[in-house]
Amino acid sequence: MTQILFKDINKKDLHTLAVYEETGGYKSLKKAFAKEPDEIIEMVKASGLRGRGGAGFPCGLKWSFLAKDVFPRYLCCNADESEPGTCKDRELLLKNPHLLIEGMILCSYACRIETGYIYLRGEFYDLCEIMEKALEEAYAKGYLGKNILGSGFDLDIHTHLGAGAYICGEESALLNSLEGMRGEPRMKPPFPAVQGLYAKPTVINNVETLCVVPYIVNEGAEKYAAIGTEKSKGTKLVSVSGHVKKPANYEVVLGTPVREIIYDMAGGMRDDNQLKAFIPGGSSVPMLRADQVDTPYDYESLQAAGSMLGSGALIVLDHTVNVVETSLRLVSFYMHESCGKCTPCREGTRWMWQILHQIQTGKGEAAHVEELLDICDNMSFKCFCPLGDAAVAPVASSIQNFRADYEELLQRMTANTV
Amino acid sequence: MADNEVTLTIDDQTITVPKGTKVVDAAKTVGIEIPVFCYHEKLGSLGCCRMCLVEVEKMPKLMTACTMDVGPDMVVKTTTERVEKAQKGVLEFTLLNHPLDCPVCDKGGECPLQNNTFKYGPGDTRMDFQRANNLKAAPLSPVITLDRERCIACQRCTRYSEVIEQDRALVMLNRGFHNEVGTFNNEPYDTRFSGNVIDICPVGALTNTQFRFKARTWDLTNSDTLCAHCGCNCNMTLGVRTNKFMRIESRPNDYVDDGWICDKARWGYDFLESKNRIMEARTTLDGASKTLPVKDAAAQAANALKKIADEHGPGSIGFIGSPYGTNEELYLYQKLFRQQLGTNNIDHKVYAETPGLPIPHYDVSEIETSDLVLVIASDPTEELPILDLRIKKVVTRGNAKLAVLNDQSTLMDRYAHLSLRYDIGAAAQVFAALANTLAGEKGEVQDTGITGEQLNSLMDMLKSSKKTTIIYNPAALTGQSVDVLKHLLSEIGKISSMECGAIPAAPYTNAVGALDMGVLPNYYPGGVPLADAEAVKQQSGENSPLEAGLSAMEMIEKANSGELKALLVHRANPVVDFPGSKKIADALKKLDLLIVHDMLETETSQLAGIVLPSNGPGHDDGTTTNIGGRVQFRKGGLKTTNAPDWKIISMMAKTLGDETDYITSFSVTDEIAKMVPGYGDISKKSIKKMGLARTAAQYQNGTKPDSAKSQPAKSDGLKLRIASYLFAHDKILDADSRLAHQFKPSTVHLHEDDAKKLGLKNGDDVIVVSGDTQVRAEVEISGKCNPGGVVLPRISDEQGVLGLAGADGISSVEIRKA
Ligand SMILES: Cc1cc2nc3c(=O)[nH]c(=O)nc-3n(C[C@H](O)[C@H](O)[C@H](O)COP(=O)(O)O)c2cc1C
Ligand code: SF4
Ligand code: SF4
Ligand code: SF4
Ligand code: FES
Repeated sequence: MTQILFKDINKKDLHTLAVYEETGGYKSLKKAFAKEPDEIIEMVKASGLRGRGGAGFPCGLKWSFLAKDVFPRYLCCNADESEPGTCKDRELLLKNPHLLIEGMILCSYACRIETGYIYLRGEFYDLCEIMEKALEEAYAKGYLGKNILGSGFDLDIHTHLGAGAYICGEESALLNSLEGMRGEPRMKPPFPAVQGLYAKPTVINNVETLCVVPYIVNEGAEKYAAIGTEKSKGTKLVSVSGHVKKPANYEVVLGTPVREIIYDMAGGMRDDNQLKAFIPGGSSVPMLRADQVDTPYDYESLQAAGSMLGSGALIVLDHTVNVVETSLRLVSFYMHESCGKCTPCREGTRWMWQILHQIQTGKGEAAHVEELLDICDNMSFKCFCPLGDAAVAPVASSIQNFRADYEELLQRMTANTV
Repeated sequence: MADNEVTLTIDDQTITVPKGTKVVDAAKTVGIEIPVFCYHEKLGSLGCCRMCLVEVEKMPKLMTACTMDVGPDMVVKTTTERVEKAQKGVLEFTLLNHPLDCPVCDKGGECPLQNNTFKYGPGDTRMDFQRANNLKAAPLSPVITLDRERCIACQRCTRYSEVIEQDRALVMLNRGFHNEVGTFNNEPYDTRFSGNVIDICPVGALTNTQFRFKARTWDLTNSDTLCAHCGCNCNMTLGVRTNKFMRIESRPNDYVDDGWICDKARWGYDFLESKNRIMEARTTLDGASKTLPVKDAAAQAANALKKIADEHGPGSIGFIGSPYGTNEELYLYQKLFRQQLGTNNIDHKVYAETPGLPIPHYDVSEIETSDLVLVIASDPTEELPILDLRIKKVVTRGNAKLAVLNDQSTLMDRYAHLSLRYDIGAAAQVFAALANTLAGEKGEVQDTGITGEQLNSLMDMLKSSKKTTIIYNPAALTGQSVDVLKHLLSEIGKISSMECGAIPAAPYTNAVGALDMGVLPNYYPGGVPLADAEAVKQQSGENSPLEAGLSAMEMIEKANSGELKALLVHRANPVVDFPGSKKIADALKKLDLLIVHDMLETETSQLAGIVLPSNGPGHDDGTTTNIGGRVQFRKGGLKTTNAPDWKIISMMAKTLGDETDYITSFSVTDEIAKMVPGYGDISKKSIKKMGLARTAAQYQNGTKPDSAKSQPAKSDGLKLRIASYLFAHDKILDADSRLAHQFKPSTVHLHEDDAKKLGLKNGDDVIVVSGDTQVRAEVEISGKCNPGGVVLPRISDEQGVLGLAGADGISSVEIRKA
């Protein structure tokens, strides 16, 4: 089983610089500094690494989009990890903070960036302290600051704690928040690569994405590209949660069938119950049925199956669940987290919640199901940012795949009134 | 097709528009309406309401037309089934929790939400839950009330605060369904321009507290008029019902106001119903005060003036007009005094401005195409608020740099690339030094508070500019420094690599018009100088008086010495507004005859033997010329049985033999067009829509100042700078004013060094003394001026600051602990 990010993850005191260096940490820097920055970008492109934050955008390509010759440029590491079900960045930050720092140094060198920020979700207060300590150690050792390892390259990294809003994980809302403004997504274009933080060219990458970069620089792009499927290269951290025996983060080679993740890695269903549904990529992607469990876990296959890989959070539901409750729970999350900027999301999430709540409490009406589908249609791809579409995903997919669950609750209502 | 243009197709119509145009605006050019809520052309795109979704070929998603730039060969469809479903969907969401209290809503009848729903909305709603309830009347300030239920969170108001005001005072608070408009710490939203949010709110959420529930919008009679409070002359709509004032709204004119009005326009018209209004004519000539018909009073006034002129010579009478009068009033009064009474004792001001500029007189809109704005001795924020917005616009959203040259710090400094502060009283020397440096001579800046390097950086900015607009406030330039400034302007005009022009930004409504109309002791209308007898005779007739007249302050002096016997004061209050205040009252009391023609009782009208009622703005029609030289029509709106001012003046002239019949105010305008150089193109028709720029008067005195003379006078006390505030507590904004929350306490700004010397600290209660005038104030130790000076803003009539000033506006003061 190929392990890149989790190779030494449970090694004692890996979070300290000394232990991290024992595992080969920071070795990539010398190699990188011997190359031209653009060569690093080319390597990352060749590796096929795609963004692990949700959208899966090719990482090297993103770096090459930075507005030419405009400085200063910024790097923002997206450590806002707030997607329900997702907790893989947390494990990296907690146990291996230096890996992220090393990745950020490589990215900054490649993109000629001299200031980086780690934007942590507000609840990551303890992780922020760990990160701060790691940064301190890295500065003391000369991995950060002026003239890193005599290369002439300077880099400062700062941490920033959010105030507890899911929307601040969306990259442009993150930038607003970092600038001290209201956490609302920005209009695109301009894209961050052209006008990002403080209107300067900015790279925004997920924690996991950046953590992969040292491996690519150390081992070469080809080696990374050899892992996974043709279009989905490498490994992916999958946060498995729900009704499995061993919920945890697993490093999975892309292309591994979902069945293997649930039954081999996560120990199978709790109480050996029957699998009913799974949400493969975090709460923002459509749920799939048990009969789709052989779908390979990679970007293309999950999309072909009608869902997405998203942030890599596999939420598993067994036969005891009525998915109306799942939808209600998730919609209540999106209603709570909608920033309120655009009308369909602000109003639609609340309306859907009201209807689902009605159905869930046995007071629904037959027309409600079609109404929900129509609201989903009026929202999807009509909102300002993807959060609105995400809110639609659980509702629409649960109706499409499990309409019987809705009918059951509606019938219960009829039975009650008769 | 030019390089900077794009051709696209919208609903099968081919359109060519400038690059960067938003699809929504491109559609408008061919009459295709794409519905919007959050988009406003002055605010730019935000894309939050989603009302403007359209289909664009090759794009899988529907796109928001308000955020999307036109692209070459783009094919846009605005009426497809998909679009219509999306529009219905968005409107259903928008209305989901909207109270729909249209029957009692101030916006009803002019509501974009009603209109969009009518045109594009679903006929019904599927919402069967209790609509969210919220505060129906949350006061944002004493003048704005927010109905939280009606807010559709379009963010127009908060973006106005951020983008236009550059304040971020009004913001969105909270998240998601709970988001709401508010301020930090619930403080009032009470900027100088706050009321515009009412106009741009697309629903009835932001309401005018004064107008709330007063009338249905369709029952209003609206007059397209102008604001009469400052030299900007912003366009506004006066809403009247059953001859009662109801409300004021903005009426966009990009040449003048860029779509905005300040709060003094919106809420500064309480004076229309003031208990202090002069409604009747009165006289004390035959003993005790008694009222009489206006017509009789006018005749009595004219005859009395004539009698004194005949007895003591025309030099014994005089006229003090007002930079707040209309062109018609000003023109007729100077005509009356010159042609019927034979005197040039005619003036309207106490500062040294003259007609004409050595460089072009720029329209306010020229600022937008300038790359440098140089503000001299002017404080637009306090004096001409809408000018402040225009400057901020070009500096923050355009390509212009701002340079400030002033003796006091102002809010403009925050936006300035270069901000130079000279010592109070050193203006002339600094202008001379800059002019000399530009001319390649030595510029002496010793003892002015600014350095040679600073002067050089200003010069560099000027020299690297392609187009500069210079804004100066002549009323803040004491002594003869305005002459030196004009010499400086001519030197700046010689920089060959640059176009430039100036805006003489005296704060008063019609300061430019008053100069143009020749309400001056030494100029006939159109800037024709007395010295040019031929020109005068040609223009105004053989019998035109040619003897130089007295200036306003000279008239006061001569009144005091008994040489001036009679004075007519129109819409002015010298007792409070002229330097010397109390001394002025004493002088006026010595006159044989004081006639006051005014709208409100003043300290001066109290002294008058004959008082004539003036209707003023809101009632009388007339034209005014703004700081940019644009002549516009200010329509009345409210009806009154009293004769308009122009008619009263004409009655006086007729009493003395004039035979001209004027039917409306435009009859006078037509005469102005004929008689006043520069106004030839002005007519009812030509100024109807956007107004029209008149041609500026010829610049006359181009003498190079004597640099020795421009040395600041040495004196012991602290040099006084009186700052002027538009939102001051005066006759217009009286104690009952809705804008009382804008009144400021009397504050004297001191430099740290001087405060230390005087042993004063912040908040100390002091008396500012000059001669026998004393003004109470609180100390504020600020960097508002250089050491050796004090800034004392004029915050009310009662405060009496003008009493401290010398006749030429210059004075030194002492500060004592109260
Ligand atoms: C509502 C919303 C929340 C998001 N939250 C996160 C997050 O918590 N962490 C993250 O890395 N990306 C998040 N993203 C994705 C980011 O916008 C962005 O695509 C990502 O950080 C880019 O990094 P990557 O290319 O390395 O994946 C979110 C996107 C949306 C629309
Ligand atoms: S879809 Fe709209 S309301 Fe929802 S989070 Fe994005 S911008 Fe905010
Ligand atoms: S804002 Fe418009 S739609 Fe709403 S209540 Fe007022 S008039 Fe009706
Ligand atoms: S108050 Fe009016 S302008 Fe402000 S957000 Fe609400 S609807 Fe928009
Ligand atoms: S008008 Fe386009 S999104 Fe509001």
